[in-house]
Amino acid sequence: MATGIRDKVAIIGMGCTRFGERWDVGADGLMVEAFLEALADAGIERARIEAAWVGNALDDINVGNSALPAAHALRLDKVPVTRVENMCATGTEALRGAAYAVASGAVDVALAIGVEKLKDTGYGGLPLRTKGMQNDLWMPYGSAPGTFAQLAGAYAARHGIPAGDLKRAMAHVSWKSHQNGALSPKAHLRGAVDMDKILNAPLIADPLGLFDCCGVSDGAAAAIVTTPEIARALGKADPVTIKAIQLSASNGWEMQFGAWDGASVPNTRAAAARAYAEAGIRDPRAELDMTEVHDCFSITELVIMEDLGLSEEGRAPVDILDGRYDAGGAIPCQLDGGLKCFGHPVGASGLRMAYEVYTQLQGRAGDRQRSKVDFGLTHNLGGSPFNSVAAVAILGRLN
Amino acid sequence: MSGLTQSFGIAALGGYVPLLRLDRKAAARELAWSGLPMPRTGTRAVADWDEDALTMAVEAARLLCPESAPDALRFASTSAYFTDRAQSGMALDALAMPRTVRTSDAANSRRAATSAMLDALLGGRDEIVTAGEKRPTQPGSAAQLAFGDGAAAVRTGPDAPARLAGHASFSHDLVDRYASRDHPFTYTYEERFVRDVAVAEVIMPVVRTACLAAGIAPGQLAHAAVHEPVGGCWRAAAKALGCKAPNHCEAVSDIVGDLGTAHAIYGLGLALDTAEVGDFVLLVGFGSGADAMVFEVTGPVPGASAMAAALKEGQVLVSYSRFLSLTGSLELDWGMRAEFEQKAQATVLERVGRDMIGFVGGRDSTGNVQFPKSAFPANPALSEVEKMEDERLADLEATIVSITADRLNFSPDPPFDFGLVQFENGARVLMEMVNRPAEGFRVGDRVRMRLRIKSQNRRLGFRTYFWKAAPLMRPVLGDA
Repeated sequence: MATGIRDKVAIIGMGCTRFGERWDVGADGLMVEAFLEALADAGIERARIEAAWVGNALDDINVGNSALPAAHALRLDKVPVTRVENMCATGTEALRGAAYAVASGAVDVALAIGVEKLKDTGYGGLPLRTKGMQNDLWMPYGSAPGTFAQLAGAYAARHGIPAGDLKRAMAHVSWKSHQNGALSPKAHLRGAVDMDKILNAPLIADPLGLFDCCGVSDGAAAAIVTTPEIARALGKADPVTIKAIQLSASNGWEMQFGAWDGASVPNTRAAAARAYAEAGIRDPRAELDMTEVHDCFSITELVIMEDLGLSEEGRAPVDILDGRYDAGGAIPCQLDGGLKCFGHPVGASGLRMAYEVYTQLQGRAGDRQRSKVDFGLTHNLGGSPFNSVAAVAILGRLN
Repeated sequence: MSGLTQSFGIAALGGYVPLLRLDRKAAARELAWSGLPMPRTGTRAVADWDEDALTMAVEAARLLCPESAPDALRFASTSAYFTDRAQSGMALDALAMPRTVRTSDAANSRRAATSAMLDALLGGRDEIVTAGEKRPTQPGSAAQLAFGDGAAAVRTGPDAPARLAGHASFSHDLVDRYASRDHPFTYTYEERFVRDVAVAEVIMPVVRTACLAAGIAPGQLAHAAVHEPVGGCWRAAAKALGCKAPNHCEAVSDIVGDLGTAHAIYGLGLALDTAEVGDFVLLVGFGSGADAMVFEVTGPVPGASAMAAALKEGQVLVSYSRFLSLTGSLELDWGMRAEFEQKAQATVLERVGRDMIGFVGGRDSTGNVQFPKSAFPANPALSEVEKMEDERLADLEATIVSITADRLNFSPDPPFDFGLVQFENGARVLMEMVNRPAEGFRVGDRVRMRLRIKSQNRRLGFRTYFWKAAPLMRPVLGDA
């Protein structure tokens, strides 16, 4: 019977670049920036890295495939480096690879790094890509907002919520994140935005307006992981540990079989249930102190609150409007501003989320610091609501 | 030419016109400053960006494909996209016909369809001839407003409700207009010259001969469907022939435009819809000569009334610039997102192309249908690999489960509507939507399937085709 990796892996150092339109630097430079911060934070020499996982989702934009771009950029000398790609869950996937290597005893110290250089596409939004030659013959090429916008109509239909009420709750999601992002020095978008502006923004994909969509940015984030014993030996008396990392991938059921109503994301539910079990969390509403979830679009965050079990079915709009997930609420969501303010350099986002939880767990979040943080959750949702990869990670402290 | 006694004739007809109708007056007004002569009355049908001669011809023919496949499927067009790939073969797969059905393409003349139809009739064969047209035209030309996009199809067979009573064909290389590789837009010559020669040298002799073969005088014709090279030809010919039969192709020209190879057959649909038992109806296909056929009506012809009804439905297109864009006359800078182009591979098309263009899914051992097929069924009740039975989805209705109007994604005619649709047999498919209703699409809307272009690689000159979901009903056309 598998016991999972709870408290078998400690995070001893993390780094995160400033996210944004980084015209000044390429993917290699972004990786160096995040890596150097993580190394300094960990207090170790680069030579101690025994294995690395690099997450990069869109290799056709300046980064390149395989391990080599990261190995070159960081000058990792004959180290086994593995490139991973799992859509928007890529960053968490990299952390999962490094954590599993440590937990298995294969290595003592491993690096997870995620990077994306989206602004080299030359336009806003994520780039169009082939879906595979066979799928290209029939599958529509919807944009990311186009696929996630479909949650809104299905959610409203399932719960009988008037479109206007749902739109206001979605707007609150974005308003709250912009409020938080204003306090994040590394965020791309740091200005507060008022509700009227959010509600009246031009439509991108009905009913998502401009401010219902996350930004598009360049960025990188990195984590150095090791065993709790080594962490302590390095002077980390109460290290941050990984309580759980779980993934769930669609097998095509949602988009090919008629049982799903489109108003929730089953993979998030599956990954969360397994992560709670792995972390030993019985009541997430009572035990989680913060979440960093995949708010690629406001409606996604709203639905995630139910998929993670933090809101009752059909109650997320009310909870959101009540401020339950605001910075001062019961379970703040996106204390750093989330994808909404950081943007979504795909390969980096999962690690950027972990960076905020890690920072909060150590009481180093400055103006954003939450008074009590024992457990924080990160969540990624790759693909589309109907064909997704969901990742849930839970971080805490060893003691 | 010959007198015929057999009961071979028209078993059924089908027609298709795209949703949009351009108001010619509004378009002419946009060009009034130029002083160029162009039609100013009526409307013309405008194909969507993802419709072409093939898709429309398939739409027209699918109405003629009940349980039994014909002996042959003929595709006719002067604007077919592929010049070395048989559209008839693609139509065969789109219509899910067996590969034993013979296929051929006919082109290079506006009467290609009537000639193919006459061959089928004279051969005594059960055939489908389907013609589709989406001809490129130049802004400022009369042809751009006079032409229309659309399709018409006919099925020939025994014991037909419209029996071929007589026929004649004349070949005459009258260059009233032409298009060529070096001049893909229609080049037209003086109308007065064309009318005089066409009436005297082509239409009158061929009609007279066909009537003679049918054993009737032209004056006995009750209805006509004459594809005129220019307006007024039938009026002049009929007067000289002593015939009062109205030309139903005029209504086609007026409401949807000149449909090229499909025009005469569409007009025949209107004529047969109006005709009564015992009437003689004339069909004339024109182009480098003419084919004339006289039919004796013995009963209602399936499909004819639907062709008439289709002309009353549609959506008025008020934007002249959108019309120019849809017809390829205006090349907008759509930005970098439009640079993405797929490349289809023949190997993939060989493996799964038939299921795609035919919209064929698979039925698993529980009876649930899915698309596309897979070794392990999508049905969670099944856990073993199994072989699925083919199940066509193209002719079924479905319900929208989720939907959006995507304004970020590139579409040549935004917004890009897409979402999940649910078929009652269990299949759920992520699909593009077409023929957007005025109020947009909504969850719960019922939809039907339409064959459309899925992707086009303009650099490589290749298209792929798939099905898209459209509302069940079209709006009634208001005053243009």
